[in-house]
Amino acid sequence: MSSVTNSTGSFFNRSLAQMADLRDGIERTRTQIATGRKFERGSQDPAGAAQLRSIDRRAALAAVEGDNAARLGQDLGAAATEVEAVTALLQRARELAVQAANTATGADGRQAIAFELAQLSQELFSRANSTSLTGEPLFAGQSSGLAFSRDAAGTVTYIGTPESGAVPVAPGTAIERGLPGSEVFTFNLNGSPSSAFAVLDGLVAALQGGAPDPVAAAKSALEGIDAALDTAGRATAILGTRMAWVEQVEAQQADRKIARAERRSRVGDTDIADAIARLQQSLTALEATQSAFARVSSLKLFDALR
Amino acid sequence: MPTAIFTIGRSGLTASRRSLELTAQNIANATNPDYTRRTLTQGELVMTGSIGTNAADSLGGVRPGAIKRAESALVQRQARDASSAVAAAEAEFFALREAESALETSGLFTGIVGFEAALNKLQSNPTEPALRVTAVEAGRKLASNFRVANGTLANARSLVQGEASAEVLTVNELAKELAEINADLVGAREGTAGRAALLDARDKALRGLAEQFGIQPTINANGTADVMLAGTPPVALVTGATAQAVSVTFAANGTANFAVGATGFVPAGGAMAGRASALTDMANVQAGLDGIAVSVVAIANAAQAAGVGLDGTPGQPLFAGTGAADITVVLASANGLATAPAGAPAGSTNTANLAALITALSAPTGPASGADSLLIGLSSRVSALETRSEGLAIVSASAEAELLRETGVDLDTEAANLIRMQQAFEANSRVIQVAAELFDTILGLR
Repeated sequence: MSSVTNSTGSFFNRSLAQMADLRDGIERTRTQIATGRKFERGSQDPAGAAQLRSIDRRAALAAVEGDNAARLGQDLGAAATEVEAVTALLQRARELAVQAANTATGADGRQAIAFELAQLSQELFSRANSTSLTGEPLFAGQSSGLAFSRDAAGTVTYIGTPESGAVPVAPGTAIERGLPGSEVFTFNLNGSPSSAFAVLDGLVAALQGGAPDPVAAAKSALEGIDAALDTAGRATAILGTRMAWVEQVEAQQADRKIARAERRSRVGDTDIADAIARLQQSLTALEATQSAFARVSSLKLFDALR
Repeated sequence: MPTAIFTIGRSGLTASRRSLELTAQNIANATNPDYTRRTLTQGELVMTGSIGTNAADSLGGVRPGAIKRAESALVQRQARDASSAVAAAEAEFFALREAESALETSGLFTGIVGFEAALNKLQSNPTEPALRVTAVEAGRKLASNFRVANGTLANARSLVQGEASAEVLTVNELAKELAEINADLVGAREGTAGRAALLDARDKALRGLAEQFGIQPTINANGTADVMLAGTPPVALVTGATAQAVSVTFAANGTANFAVGATGFVPAGGAMAGRASALTDMANVQAGLDGIAVSVVAIANAAQAAGVGLDGTPGQPLFAGTGAADITVVLASANGLATAPAGAPAGSTNTANLAALITALSAPTGPASGADSLLIGLSSRVSALETRSEGLAIVSASAEAELLRETGVDLDTEAANLIRMQQAFEANSRVIQVAAELFDTILGLR
């Protein structure tokens, strides 16, 4: 007798496998809801996992770029503040030079003016060597030492580098860190290199009796002070433009951050509404399967025979 | 011949009682997965004697015949082949999933990104000690990520190797068992319960072997089974009453080599083939991981050599190591990070050399994309294996169901048999009663 039968073992195996499948699906959906993540392992969605990795990498680098931009903004702001103070200082020096050029101002008056100008020159020197919040020189270019040095004879020279270097703040975008002191304090006067320090110190020396005609010296110094003011004004404009650029980059970074978060959520986050609906569906199916199993498995001939 | 009725009734009683016993045996083994449904054959017993042309029949009742096992060679083979295939896919899937988790949880990719990010941050102020230390520490973390990945991968590998070694012992036990069954089968008489039990044990051993290795069994006329292991080349495992020993050894890169006796072979199916394939994949992943570690060492050290540190002296190597196992940070001080190009003075904030390092690290051929493609390659493989083993599991389950349908016990049928045999038993008792009454009637004649 080789009739084909409906084996009891086969029925139980089949029912158990079906229920295990449903239970497995429910467990997976539950994990998705609990963790908020669509997949736990890369192999559940290799392409999605690769996208998530790339988004996470971009996010990590963008966070650093954001920090870099904020810091660059601070440094540029500090430099701009210093340059504004330098401009005010040079304007005061110009007023003093105009007074000194006035013949009505006597020798004593010129002495007083020379004294104040000497103070201003000191302040200018210290402002030129000022540092950022973290102690880095603002105008030394890529050097971490002083920007300007004064030798024994009182001559001030720029000892920083002519470039200030750039900081990357976005993919493909690098903004200059600041302005080297050579572009803020030195200029060409009538075809020869000069600096704000040389102009002020020269005027002080002339007013203190170094020049036979202090009035003429003061008059000619006005030209140098104007050139220094022009240079400082240009520096303010450049720094202002860069600060605006940084702000623009920061705004873009904020926008990109939102776009990235949306994309990350689309790729890797659980759609809660969908997941809960699926969970409910699977639960209903499991309950139905279980009660059907209980009913069918009790339908044995042995139960009918008493 | 009134006594003939007694004999007929008694033979009927014997036959139905033995059938009842067999039904009870079937019911008792309803949940035994290795049990094959048995039936009892019966034959009519007629004696014919003839003298000259006078023939006379004498009815003798029924003769209980042989115990038949539901024959199932074809479905047995289907179920074996299907379970071989699913075992191969599942073994490889589980092994590689371990490797995948090992790489993913080691944080290798985030380590590389962290190092890149720390270097990027250093660009904002290359002379700040805190940022320098952070960059070197990010490098140290990356090195430790490599070592963790290496360790967890080695762990996953040794789990698979341990499993293979342990299962080889099971295979040898099964082969020995099968050889003993073969020896016993030669002597077992056809149609006995003992022979049916031996055949059940034979099929069980074959199924056990098929899970571990793809097998090509030959069932001989006397019921014994000779087993060849499928592979290159195919090798004989069990021939008659002799079984060869299977052994496994592991190469330096972790890949497995199998041998039967002294003959090496590459298994072509079963869990062992899956494990062998997983070990080969793991060796490739290990090579990829080592390659990325070596490229990180090379890129960082080349950049160091091309630049100068904070003190203006040429940069010294940042990493040392020949692979993921031994990569370490060897730079003594964070000031030694060569952020500035060669020729820059001490304390320079020039970041040209640092920028070159960052570019090399994030290049399409750099370690970040290397780690990404290693991960995506592995997880795609695992994903494909999962799909494959799910599909094969369905095939295997239906082959198993088919086998159970052919050979399993159906309780409804057995319950019906129980009633049928009980009625037959009662009817035969009644025949004896009638015979007795007939006898009494004859004896009571006056």
